[in-house]
Amino acid sequence: MLQIMKLEWNKNQMTRYFKTFVCCILGIYGFVTLIAIDSGDMGSFQEFMSLITVITNITFITFGSVILSRLVISEFRTKTMQVLFTYPIQRKKLLLAKLILAYTFTTGSLLIGICLMQVTTLFLQPSLGLFAGTITWQEIVATFPKTITNAFSMGAIALIPLFFGMRKKSTATTITSAVIIGVLVNSTVSDSGKTFSLADVVIIPLILALLGIGIAYLSFRNIDRQDVSS
Amino acid sequence: MTNIIQTHQLTKRFTLESVITSVNMNIKEGEIYGFLGPNGAGKTTIMKMILNLVKPTSGEIIIQNEHITKDSYHYLKDIGSLIEYPVFYDDLTAYQNLQLHCAYIGYKDHNHIVKVLEIVGLREIEKKKVKEFSLGMRQRLAIARAIVTKPKILILDEPVNGLDPIGIKEMRELFIKLKKQYGMTLIISSHIVSEIESIADTIGILHHGKLIEEITMTELRKLQQPTVEIVVSDTDKAKRLLEDGFGAKVQILSQNSLQITKINEKATSMTKHLILHGVDIEKVEIRQQTLEEYFVRRINGGITNAADYEA
Repeated sequence: MLQIMKLEWNKNQMTRYFKTFVCCILGIYGFVTLIAIDSGDMGSFQEFMSLITVITNITFITFGSVILSRLVISEFRTKTMQVLFTYPIQRKKLLLAKLILAYTFTTGSLLIGICLMQVTTLFLQPSLGLFAGTITWQEIVATFPKTITNAFSMGAIALIPLFFGMRKKSTATTITSAVIIGVLVNSTVSDSGKTFSLADVVIIPLILALLGIGIAYLSFRNIDRQDVSS
Repeated sequence: MTNIIQTHQLTKRFTLESVITSVNMNIKEGEIYGFLGPNGAGKTTIMKMILNLVKPTSGEIIIQNEHITKDSYHYLKDIGSLIEYPVFYDDLTAYQNLQLHCAYIGYKDHNHIVKVLEIVGLREIEKKKVKEFSLGMRQRLAIARAIVTKPKILILDEPVNGLDPIGIKEMRELFIKLKKQYGMTLIISSHIVSEIESIADTIGILHHGKLIEEITMTELRKLQQPTVEIVVSDTDKAKRLLEDGFGAKVQILSQNSLQITKINEKATSMTKHLILHGVDIEKVEIRQQTLEEYFVRRINGGITNAADYEA
């Protein structure tokens, strides 16, 4: 399996996505920092990080769909999948390798991205005063379980667009649906100090994550016994 | 020679429509099997079924004594293929595409990649990205991909599509070399009969999803007796004279031309006979029937099997 994933990595020249990852992180952090400095009324570290998490989630769910399109959808669309299926490798394994790679990339990007931004905030807060109060290592470490859960669930939610994209083997549909899902899940309704986000109700991201995993499973469950449509 | 690929009552239905019906094929090890049929006859579907890309509705496929099931895939390591339009990872170079192919198959001799690119005439442009390739170049690369791992069986669907006449000749020579030098078994489909005629050992003719003929070229050549076309002054009289005098099968083609099949006598004896009985002869042409003519007649229902053709 690792060998197949390595081949997928090389074939899709995935190293180039690291550059995109760095650009996204810089963009998000720069944007939120500017808002914080400009408004000057960020209440706490949690509030600051919650804005970062929302934007990062939407960005990397979309980014995940781009990778999903590249790894899965476009292989079906350009019919290179047909060539892949003539290799002495179980089709399930081929698809599973692609999905694991897409999931790992999205989850990893979210995890590393948010952690990096948290640590950066620790160093910048004393000089820039991004929000009211201070921040310590202990407080950052305390957010890790939530960051990890968020990354794992959003990584799985990022697989939902596979359902829409596979219907017409369309890259555009995959990415569009990812944007809509990302925005819906992470949108925040605010009413004078009280905020509500779907992502805050633990059960909703959990159900959607399970849905994403279910969709991914269904995409390869029966693939060995199906005709490869032309 | 033993059969390397066999199909028994192979049938495929898409929804209600039957596209392949009870096909029994026997492909011998080390031969070139020419798969003929008009567009839409079902050649590609059968090739896809051999590769397990399309699953049979009923019937069975046996490859190297292994019964192929819907889940089979190990046997694919011995098969190189080119099905339909040649597709590649367009952002990769020709060399990278072949390298990737070898990695998936588990073939490690990378020096062979260069050799194969040389064989198909793509050595100079191996570093060019495939998206810049013409159809002919893609077709050459697809053939390179099919043969690079030295498979035992090659399945090539319309392999010379998009090639120029020189390219076609080169590929034809390559196919014969692969058979003779490496003992490969080749299944080559085409709707251009002349392409198959010069290289195939056996031909299978597919029409409306049914294998209407499977015959070796040796057998077929025995059946392909010459025909004589004669331009005469009186076709009716000539027809009668030839049928009565020589027992020939004569068909009137136009107002003053005849075609004689089933010839038991030399053409000179027949023309002499006609002249002696007052029939003037303007032209005599002896023609050897081609596979193409046989194919067309077979497809058009002119003959129902090889035995009828002989008669």
